Amino acid sequence: MKYLPLCAALLAAPAAAQDRPQNATREEGLAAWERIFTVTSHPRCANCHVGDSGQPMWEGLGYGGQAVHGMNVQAGESRIGAESITCDACHVISDAANVTPHAPPHIDDAWRLPPVELEWFGKSSAEVCAQLRDPERNDGHDIASLIDHLSNSAFVAWGFTPGGGRSAPETSLDALIHDVTLWGAAGTPCASE
Amino acid sequence: MELTVNGKVHEVDVEDDMPLLWVLRDELGITGPKYGCGIAQCGACTVHVDGMAVRSCQLRAGDVNGDVTTIEGLGTPEALHVVQAAWVKHQVAQCGYCQSGQIMQAASFLELNPDPTDDQIDAAMSGNLCRCGTYPRIRAAVQDAAAKLRRA
Repeated sequence: MKYLPLCAALLAAPAAAQDRPQNATREEGLAAWERIFTVTSHPRCANCHVGDSGQPMWEGLGYGGQAVHGMNVQAGESRIGAESITCDACHVISDAANVTPHAPPHIDDAWRLPPVELEWFGKSSAEVCAQLRDPERNDGHDIASLIDHLSNSAFVAWGFTPGGGRSAPETSLDALIHDVTLWGAAGTPCASE
Repeated sequence: MELTVNGKVHEVDVEDDMPLLWVLRDELGITGPKYGCGIAQCGACTVHVDGMAVRSCQLRAGDVNGDVTTIEGLGTPEALHVVQAAWVKHQVAQCGYCQSGQIMQAASFLELNPDPTDDQIDAAMSGNLCRCGTYPRIRAAVQDAAAKLRRA
């Protein structure tokens, strides 16, 4: 009986690297991609993955369709708002629990928009699929470093546990990491090819 | 914990998660920064940390990692900050409640971007609400202060 708590802890722990899929068929990879796209297209993620408008969105937050971030926020070419007001004027860099609805979330990482090339907002599954497997357009990631990013980014982790009544992708971060691994093992297939 | 505010070191006995705004107003009696909404939607509590504008209602005391400046430390009646002087010249304030936040935001913005476009001024100041509607005078004062800084 004394081992039961340990077993429970192991069951709850994220899948270890050796448990991740090494091989997968194209069909398995495409199915994994469809699940990945439900995350990349979720407003919690896509609202900051905007293009060269530099204007984050508040889509899916109850403010109506095509709602842009309030306060006329413009992240600019710097992607951190250095030309006007920096993201961290309101979004504090801290690990504070985000329990207050409508308050600017805190995250323990430098607040910024992702690179322009990683535009997801309004993009189709085929467009994001082609982008995410291309190191020229995915911030230089191969699958291993993409998984490393997913595993270690405070932004990604927050997206799944945003707090304060905020919506989150229906899947878990562990499931996403598993699906990206599967997609990579299948050779990063996209349905359009 | 120790906090440096307007060049003076203060020892304060507060919980780490007390918002900086509470520390300033209730513990140190520095009441220039105002409470408006408590969730960074209005900008009335804006102060500087190492020169950068921050909504002090959002920053926990334990997370303050630089010198704090409030409106009380920006300029003096004898030597107004260029933004304060522009505020006086354009008679910006009406009720005045939001104005310390507006001025602190504008001062930090012009430090960051001394040659702003009108759109950048609007973007920088749009997070500071003024229920009296002094926005046209705010914009004119920021433009004036920017022009003075460019000539300086």
